[in-house]
Amino acid sequence: MSVITTKNLDIGYAERTIVKGLNIEIPKGKITALVGGNGSGKSTILKTIARILKPQNGGVYLNGESIHNQSTKSVAKKLAILPQNPTAPEGLTVAELVSYGRFPHQKKFGTLAKEDYEMIEWALEATGMTIFAQRPLSSLSGGQRQKAWIAMALAQGTDTILLDEPTTFLDMAHQFEVLNLLKKLNSEQKQTIVMVVHDLNHATRFAHYMIAIKDGKVVKEGKTIDVTKPDILREVFGICADIIYDPKTGVPLVMPYDVICDSSKSHLHSLKEVAAL
Amino acid sequence: MEDVKVFSYKQMISSKKNKVIKLTGIMLLLLIATFILSMNLGVIRLSPWEVTKTFFGFGTHKQQLILFDFRLPRIVIAILIGAGLSVSGAIMQGISRNPLADPGILGINAGAGFAVVTFILFFTRVANQSIFLLPLVALVGGFTAAILIYTLSIKNGAVSPVRMILVGIGIGMLFNAFILLFQMKMQYHQFMSAAIWLAGSIYGSNWKFVLALLPWILILLPYALYKANILNVMNLGEQNATGLGVMIERERFLLSITAVALASACVSIGGGISFVGLVSPHLARRLVGPRHEYLIPVSAVIGSILLLVSDMFARQLLAPNEIPTGIVVAVIGAPYFLYLLARSDS
Repeated sequence: MSVITTKNLDIGYAERTIVKGLNIEIPKGKITALVGGNGSGKSTILKTIARILKPQNGGVYLNGESIHNQSTKSVAKKLAILPQNPTAPEGLTVAELVSYGRFPHQKKFGTLAKEDYEMIEWALEATGMTIFAQRPLSSLSGGQRQKAWIAMALAQGTDTILLDEPTTFLDMAHQFEVLNLLKKLNSEQKQTIVMVVHDLNHATRFAHYMIAIKDGKVVKEGKTIDVTKPDILREVFGICADIIYDPKTGVPLVMPYDVICDSSKSHLHSLKEVAAL
Repeated sequence: MEDVKVFSYKQMISSKKNKVIKLTGIMLLLLIATFILSMNLGVIRLSPWEVTKTFFGFGTHKQQLILFDFRLPRIVIAILIGAGLSVSGAIMQGISRNPLADPGILGINAGAGFAVVTFILFFTRVANQSIFLLPLVALVGGFTAAILIYTLSIKNGAVSPVRMILVGIGIGMLFNAFILLFQMKMQYHQFMSAAIWLAGSIYGSNWKFVLALLPWILILLPYALYKANILNVMNLGEQNATGLGVMIERERFLLSITAVALASACVSIGGGISFVGLVSPHLARRLVGPRHEYLIPVSAVIGSILLLVSDMFARQLLAPNEIPTGIVVAVIGAPYFLYLLARSDS
């Protein structure tokens, strides 16, 4: 079952069309990764799904209902977005940031109800940020800060969270901290997660479903294992890569070796050679 | 086993609220102290006892005249303008996410001033008779400046903070040049009164001015406070605000109108007073943090104190001659602006 579908979506600025006639379906309760090269339009697609950008034509449907025909507040109760590299004003504490996630649920004067307090505390707990609740965001490490933003999205109480390159600008340990958190939210809270991912091996490792995009068009969408194929990677990224499978999990791992496909450079080839010795 | 609750957001917020209320209380006391001091000071000194006595209707006729007809309206206007300009600055900084935004620096004040000077020059009689028109006239000028600045600051669909400041300073200079040009065409007495008014003098104040300004402040200040939540979320950037369900364009439009209207109304009564809208939100942010439900009232009180103290200096420094209040404010505000500018680049 799909939670988000796009129908004949055209997206662009002024005369330049970036995405033309896009039809994608995002499965409910899964982690979906949008992958593609720089300028492929993957971020643009995510922003349009999140109604940050207006499509030129076509529509985005959330549980079958067009998001353009609903009030932006009611969409905010079903769909949260975490933009790339978000910034918060100086001095804002983690708990205060998380409380902003309750905005679409609040009444006019912004008073918080019992449920709001519960959701804020729950979101802090679920992301492991309770111990940092009273700390200013600026005093945290990049990974903790990203987790605080995820907590805000969680406090929004939506079933679906969109994330635009959530691990860019983070060092490796923090990247895994964030990705593992998303995985946990998916498996424990049944959150549907859609993210633009730069690192292919992060995508294969954490996403159930993958949409590979080039020049604003879908090259292949489907289960991660079906999308991670040498010919598709070659078309989408213009790289030549070997795919090996993690013996423990069966997760495909991408080992790129060049932009020109010369099998003598292939890792597998050299491995064979090593074996032959 | 009972789970020990380690963190309660409700508790955290209520203790913060208490802190802010205490702080606001202290500052209100400070404002009252300045108020009393301000009533004492002047060419003719009145002791606190005389002030109190007169305040409750037991003063001499002369004392009553000084207090009620000269000092009190001036003090009330300083308080209103200080609050109005500060909240205008706080809103501008909030919606543009630009810590250097201020109606004076951005040229909004100059636009409003230009409209008022033009009005005085061409409709001298009407201007003298109906002060209530001045805020409206100033509003037209303020909006013209705001629209010019906004359209000229857009590049590739985005408004960069630094570009906005530069364009604003340019627009401000342009309007000031026109004001100067018009002043050259004025009679001597017109010129003098325009010059004093433009430098930000509240010295000609009487109750009529208070009445002309009061409704603007009474409506727009609570409205800004009512929008505090939206300002908070807008502070997280356009994309986050949209994601949280804010109608960005509509809210930005409404809040811009509020900020420009506040600044214009203040300028039409008090003349060109810059930097209050910059300095007080910054000081307030240091004291109570970035949330607008605290920031707006606290900057309003700080602005009132700032302007009242400046006005006191303006009257006292070269007594019996007066310096325009705007100049005193600029002496404090301009270095602070430079400090913020230097810090924002790092």
